[in-house]
Amino acid sequence: MKITLLLKIALKNLRTRRLRSWLTILGIVIGVFLVITLLSLSEGVKENINHQLRSLGKDIIFVMPGEESNLFASMVAGSKLEEEDVKIVERNKGVDNIVPMTYGGGVMRYKGEAKQVFLVGLPIKKSLEILKEYHGWDLKCGDWPDPFKREIIVGSQIEKDLFKNDIKVGESASINGVKVRIVGILNSLGSKRDDSAVYVDENLYWQITGTRTKEPNMLLVKVKDGYDPDKVAQKIKQDLEERTKRRRGSEKGKVMVLTSEKMGDIAENILGTIQAAIIAFASISILVGGIGIMNTMFTSVRERIREIGIMKAIGATNNTISLIFLLEAGMIGLIGGIGGTVFGISFAKIIEIYFRNHPTFHLKAYLSWKIILFGLIFSFILGCLSGYLPARSAAKLRATEALRRFE
Amino acid sequence: MNMKEVVLRLENVYKTYHSGEVETRALRGITLEIYKGSFLSIVGPSGSGKSTLLNIMGLLDFPEKGKVFIEDKDITTLDLDELAKIRGKKIGFVFQQFNLIQHLTILENVTLPMLFQNVSEIEAQKRAKELLRMVGLEEKVLRRPYQLSGGEQQRVAIARALANDPSIILADEPTGNLDSKTGKMIMEIFKHLHQDKKRTIVVVTHDSYIASYGEQKIIIQDGRIISNHQTRKEYIS
Ligand SMILES: Nc1ncnc2c1ncn2[C@@H]1O[C@H](COP(=O)(O)OP(=O)(O)O)[C@@H](O)[C@H]1O
Ligand SMILES: [Mg+2]
Repeated sequence: MKITLLLKIALKNLRTRRLRSWLTILGIVIGVFLVITLLSLSEGVKENINHQLRSLGKDIIFVMPGEESNLFASMVAGSKLEEEDVKIVERNKGVDNIVPMTYGGGVMRYKGEAKQVFLVGLPIKKSLEILKEYHGWDLKCGDWPDPFKREIIVGSQIEKDLFKNDIKVGESASINGVKVRIVGILNSLGSKRDDSAVYVDENLYWQITGTRTKEPNMLLVKVKDGYDPDKVAQKIKQDLEERTKRRRGSEKGKVMVLTSEKMGDIAENILGTIQAAIIAFASISILVGGIGIMNTMFTSVRERIREIGIMKAIGATNNTISLIFLLEAGMIGLIGGIGGTVFGISFAKIIEIYFRNHPTFHLKAYLSWKIILFGLIFSFILGCLSGYLPARSAAKLRATEALRRFE
Repeated sequence: MNMKEVVLRLENVYKTYHSGEVETRALRGITLEIYKGSFLSIVGPSGSGKSTLLNIMGLLDFPEKGKVFIEDKDITTLDLDELAKIRGKKIGFVFQQFNLIQHLTILENVTLPMLFQNVSEIEAQKRAKELLRMVGLEEKVLRRPYQLSGGEQQRVAIARALANDPSIILADEPTGNLDSKTGKMIMEIFKHLHQDKKRTIVVVTHDSYIASYGEQKIIIQDGRIISNHQTRKEYIS
């Protein structure tokens, strides 16, 4: 019998038990919806972070304390590099320029209002070129601060959102009690953390925080033209490790040296793992949907024992019978899959549109034909798998028994 | 008409049902030949094995011992798929309970056996409509079985039994769920199929009046044939 006809029969059967079919389909819709939404959004986040990291360019190296295998934990731990480390990096032939960055929390007071801010100290004049080229630095208004005066610039989010009164260039404020003048406001850098920071020259940073030793949290290293960033990074790492060895007994931890590309790889890896975990959890709901299909199909077989007997009596083979039930289960899966995909995509798009108006956090829903096709094929196969046992039990029914049971 | 052409033959057929401790010997050595174009009535009290016999004749069930031939083909050697194919093609069933599929239309019910034989949908529908016209239901093709009277449903079942132009029609108590007037009408259709269309028909019944429509009558008791004789044609009308 032709498959299109069997499909027609299967669809007809689904329509006969409309409410139950829809409820079963709903179970699949929810599962697929979850997976598609989470998949497309997490893929979007991945793309976003990836894009940011890769846009740094290939000839940038990050040097920071901690271990590669624990990148994020190291980044938030706030441990610092030593001055000696910075010198070792500076001595490397392949290094063109270094931006040492120091950061931490501070309290900013503006027009009588005090707020916690993220304070970043760096040699602004010296690093401006790198920051402009690789970090997208650009002034929205005002001027770059003079390293010899107490001048600061603020991220774009601080301008309007942080204080009741909007920040104006030329106004004065204080950070940790040190009086400063706001000389400029940055354009958005594309990440919430960067845009809600206050940037000061490193000298001012030491003053504000009251530290003597100039120990940065991380170094942004620009590699000279003609040098291979990987090789330079390797050499830096070697030199730093040698130093650690010489200072036996030191409590200081490891230092990682990562090219921007490597950093992207690591981030992608971590995000991939997180994504896999999210999807795995969402898949459980699909599994539950599959069990729902199986339940519905078993019920359906039980109710239709007589019908199965009749079909056998008028010449249906066991294969035909089991195909009818398999296709029915498959259709439930597929329709659920279509529904879930449509809702999932719409929801992801709504979230994307919501964040479009958000000043700093851009989240693009990542939708590819692969995801959609995967969703549809997966749910159809899920349906068929769930329908397998019920279909087999239907096919194995003996016609005489099936007809007799209702006499 | 070649009366000696055998459509179906049973050779020393036994069937025993086992349900738990209880053993029911439903058939005990049935040997029987059904000729092309004949009209056979099988009579016997309830529980005598009539339905069991009919099911074995219709390849719905297997004998425990003995052989079944359809047009000289030994069906005990066939696998389940081949059996289903032959059943669909050569046998037309009519049941006491009509056994129509409730959620399909009358037309679809009659079309279905042809679809199982890979007849194209258009052709199958055309033939189904012809058959339904023959049993006088051409106006009701889009109704569902539950919207019809018992007599009408049985007429649909007869149309369905004829769908694949089978070699033999097997009817198990076809009038058992009908009042006598409607039952008579159904039997008239069988009579017409036999006399005018030269169909081979087997009707199982416990009603001797219904049995009298046949031209040959077998009486079965406790799973054995106790009488097999030709009734004269004049008997009927
Ligand atoms: N599936 C079955 N399991 C057990 N016993 C059965 C089964 N089918 C029929 N029987 C028994 O076999 C005997 C013959 O049944 P059946 O062929 O239905 O008789 P009839 O159609 O003449 O009334 C009866 O005693 C019946 O109870
Ligand atoms: Mg019976």
